[in-house]
Amino acid sequence: MEHTSDTKIEHKPHKHLRTDALPVNPLKAKVVLVGNPNVGKSVVFNYLSGLYVDVSNFPGTTVEVSKAAYLHYDLYDTPGIYGVSSFNDEERVARDIILNGDVILNIVDAVHLERDLFLTQQLIDMGKRVGLIVNMLDEARRQTISVDLKRLEEEMGIPVIGTVAVKKQGLEEIHQLVSRACEGRQNKALHAELHEMLAVVGSQAEALMVLEGDGIVAARHGIAPADHSRREEIYIDRRNRVNRILQSAITDVQTGRRVASVLGRWSVSPIFGFPILALVLYALYYFVGVFVAQDVVEFTEGRIGREIVEFNIKASVAQHAATTVDVDVFNYAGDVLENRSFRFDNGLSADPVLWNEVRKFADGESAEFMFNYDNVWLVLFFGEFGAITMTLTYLVFLLLPLVLGFYFALSVLEDSGYLPRLATLVDRFLRVIGLNGRAVIPIILGFGCVTMATITTRLLGTQREKTIATTILQLAIPCSAQLGVIAALLATAGAAATLIYTFVILSFLISVGTVMNRSLPGETSPLLIDLPMMRLPQLNNVIKKTSYKTWFFMKEASPWFFIGALTVGILQVTNALEHIMDAMEPLVVQWLQLPREAATAFVMGLVRRDFGAAGLYQLNLDPFQTVAALVTITLFVPCVASLMVMLKERGIKEGALIWVGSLVLAMTVGGLVSQILI
Amino acid sequence: MTLNTLTKGMRGRIDRLPTGDIRSQFIRLGLVEGAVVFCLEKLPGGTIVLEFSRQEVALSGDLARSITITQP
Repeated sequence: MEHTSDTKIEHKPHKHLRTDALPVNPLKAKVVLVGNPNVGKSVVFNYLSGLYVDVSNFPGTTVEVSKAAYLHYDLYDTPGIYGVSSFNDEERVARDIILNGDVILNIVDAVHLERDLFLTQQLIDMGKRVGLIVNMLDEARRQTISVDLKRLEEEMGIPVIGTVAVKKQGLEEIHQLVSRACEGRQNKALHAELHEMLAVVGSQAEALMVLEGDGIVAARHGIAPADHSRREEIYIDRRNRVNRILQSAITDVQTGRRVASVLGRWSVSPIFGFPILALVLYALYYFVGVFVAQDVVEFTEGRIGREIVEFNIKASVAQHAATTVDVDVFNYAGDVLENRSFRFDNGLSADPVLWNEVRKFADGESAEFMFNYDNVWLVLFFGEFGAITMTLTYLVFLLLPLVLGFYFALSVLEDSGYLPRLATLVDRFLRVIGLNGRAVIPIILGFGCVTMATITTRLLGTQREKTIATTILQLAIPCSAQLGVIAALLATAGAAATLIYTFVILSFLISVGTVMNRSLPGETSPLLIDLPMMRLPQLNNVIKKTSYKTWFFMKEASPWFFIGALTVGILQVTNALEHIMDAMEPLVVQWLQLPREAATAFVMGLVRRDFGAAGLYQLNLDPFQTVAALVTITLFVPCVASLMVMLKERGIKEGALIWVGSLVLAMTVGGLVSQILI
Repeated sequence: MTLNTLTKGMRGRIDRLPTGDIRSQFIRLGLVEGAVVFCLEKLPGGTIVLEFSRQEVALSGDLARSITITQP
């Protein structure tokens, strides 16, 4: 093995264990896309992957990983990272995919090569076969930066191509790049050191991780990682090497200054930042909370889901089963005008005359049909809370449009580069409740749908922050469905009631956050966030992202919805629902000082949060009772769906703890409000 | 002098970075001892937006307090 000087190494390709040459079966070769956040990695992935993309959780984590077939390779996308290490979940996942990868395609941003080539050099030092894609050449040109690709190729010892991915320029060269990818020029001393470790660690890449202090990789080989100072030495060395390479490969007329958009600058300014934030939040709320959650869902769930799909399923089930059909006919205001019960001893098909009468009774009016089957199993699967019918309506006609809307809005914000600026702006405020600026996304989404928001807590850096954010979402953030009912009730209750309600919920939110911040071990991770250039999102990229994220969510969440619906169904069939309501009665009447029927509203809140709040309509509460009831129901159990997703995301133990905690706190705070006010 | 004392439009040269994992993260981004940074924006509460080598990076106030700087 030959090692020459660092700056001008003549690195001859040679065999390593497990890391370089393609594996025995070339059909299984893994091509891994690696890059910093916001360098256009997803555009390249979409270009290479074609239609079918498999998104799944990386084993043992909640980080999403996309995989696709590309030529005769398996193509993997990785989360955006600044280096291969284990500072957070994303990095740990990316590290493992890279360690297992055969060919690494590293995408870098031509404008930010100082930052991005650090990762490139690290990949080279790992002894991986690397091909470099220098993206955003148009932006570099616009900023009068000229990048000498040939020079980069010589200095780094790996093939380099230039692209403008969003305009599809240069992407066709990637196909060749994959086969040309090779080991690059490594730090000579480091390389020698890594080779000495091979007997213990097995691969050069893993040896580097151990030397850079990665405890997890070291533990896999039963050895101790090198200490922090060794990592810093290697990092500083690598940093210097990258800076040296760039001195010869980049000509920058404006040395170091960045040409930024006015909007990008304004959105983090103390004067314009907050008005822009308010505008973005309003647009987001209007699109997701009003347009999708109310208008679209009313059509898909109400019209298609209930009136067509559910009705037809229930009616066909009733064809040959003993059923009582209750029909409510409503007027325009939603009040019940008429109500009639029809009895079918031998199913609908046995009595077409009576069935005709049913149809005639409801004809031309808005009506609701209740199919009460005699058979318990039919009730369990197709009845009022039937596991099959409810799951279907819930998933396809309520959640699907919501989730699509959420991911669409999120993808637009993500691709525009606004999200990190938003995080910057609100960081100071969220720090009080133990979160950092990044947590603003799940919290905003929570006002749309808590279930979805609970899933997006994944993008938070530490388990501690995920726990705090999830708790706050489940406890104090009312979802859009509930918010509609709350707003209507408060409108009747008056300004004083509205003020008290807002004050109680807000101060409760801050108290819970502060207490968790103080009592949970660890501390809030500091905000250190790169602000990418603001740019117009690419519609096709947004659509692709939206659709596969939605598909992933539906795939992950569906079984949980079924289990949730089945649980409620069993509670109903076994009369347990009644018993729970009875048991709650003293608490509701004495402690909360509400009519006994309010218990029904609370329990129904379990089925769907808005059902709970809606049940309060009919109780004719006075303003202070309204406040007490609304505080309780806001803090009370989230809907079954969000509960299930929380149990999945946070684990059974922690999820159950948050759930029970929210029940106790809701009753306590609601009762206190009632005792003080009334 | 620490980084959080920079106000909008001022420059500073990084003198000492905090130790631990965060230090490695700074090095990766290219923010090393000796680098000159420009304060683009200072938000209420101390969050600071820096510019260096054509990048914009935001830091929370307490992180900025742990970095010593000198006049460039």
